[in-house]
Amino acid sequence: MTPDSLFQIANPLALVGWLALALSPLRPVWADRISGLGVPLLLSVAYTALILAFWSGFDGGFDSLENVILLLSQPYAALAGWIHYLAFDLFVGAWITRTARAAGVSHWLVLPCLVLTFLFGPAGFLAFTLIRWVVTLRPAPVGKV
Amino acid sequence: MTALAPSLPRTPTLTQMLTDALLFTKAGLLLALLLIPTFAAHQIDPRLFQGGGIWIKPIKFQISLSLYLLTLAFFAQWLPDAARHTRRMRAYQIVVLLCIAAEMVWIAGAAALGTASHFNTTPVGQMIYPFMGLLAVTLTSAALIWGILIARNPSPAVSPTLRRGLSSGLILTFVLTVISAGTMASQPGHLIGQPLTGETLWLLGWSREVGDLRAAHLLATHAMHVIPAAALMAHLSLAPTTALRATTLAALGFTALTTWAFVTALRGLPLI
Repeated sequence: MTPDSLFQIANPLALVGWLALALSPLRPVWADRISGLGVPLLLSVAYTALILAFWSGFDGGFDSLENVILLLSQPYAALAGWIHYLAFDLFVGAWITRTARAAGVSHWLVLPCLVLTFLFGPAGFLAFTLIRWVVTLRPAPVGKV
Repeated sequence: MTALAPSLPRTPTLTQMLTDALLFTKAGLLLALLLIPTFAAHQIDPRLFQGGGIWIKPIKFQISLSLYLLTLAFFAQWLPDAARHTRRMRAYQIVVLLCIAAEMVWIAGAAALGTASHFNTTPVGQMIYPFMGLLAVTLTSAALIWGILIARNPSPAVSPTLRRGLSSGLILTFVLTVISAGTMASQPGHLIGQPLTGETLWLLGWSREVGDLRAAHLLATHAMHVIPAAALMAHLSLAPTTALRATTLAALGFTALTTWAFVTALRGLPLI
């Protein structure tokens, strides 16, 4: 399989996961199964396979920015890196959706966080964390008289 | 117990603000927290805009809008009890917050793209500009609404001095801001005149050579802080009738100061 054809499969697969999260209020349990487990696991299998197959042949490494750039300049390594993003970003998106539901954060506030996580991973995680802190403030804190 | 007490401001606790103005308090805190990533961007982004870091402007707006919302939330304890938690009030607060969100997205987005958010002369910029003005007037109207509602608060528990300080400060914030910022928006830029050296005031960035309308805008917008603070001091240190008169004088004096800053800028002269 060429890196391009794997890329063409991985992207829509991740998109299915993000769509499930966006629509999660309709079927929360299924959304979590798909986006919190199923799709990330499939992507993880693809990632692991790529690493097993190609890691020993890669130039570069993790020890300097230069080596990371060299590593990611090779198509299969870049593809693996991209699938790593797809898998973990979606996993975090599912965590956000789950955590928001448990904390009673409105889905309308979750949606922009999901968009941010989809596009810029950690920025969405940061946005959600800040929103959750603020939104869950209560006029009279539970447990205090 | 609390029904008779609040002639003096009660403790400015977060709990009080959350009880009186849940949405404004939360949004104000969120804007303050968003300073963390904006400030981090300011530290690593080498791009400049009009001589300063490109993220300075989003930082200024985050600070001032956060302060604005938290002030309104703090002042909400002096709103009439009947007005504080109506459905209409909630809807209005949501509209104000959506305007603030839209302003912030545009200002931060323009910084990220390295373009001007105000006085942007590209076709898209010119299309957005009048819309921004509408958003700005809508979000500033919260000060006007707060001022009118506090002025009309029938509760005898609020001292006349504080009531006058709060209501006149809030209403003046709206009126003076709309005049000064509206005039600024109708000019090609915030400066009146052509600076030669580009010398500016530390932190605020106002020109020290030519007229800068942002000075009047800043004074106008802080009427809601200065005049109530003056009223509080008068309330604590003077006899009731004198305190009331002193508050009126403070409101008039502050209006005169803002007008002076406004006229000075229009004449093309720096304040300091």
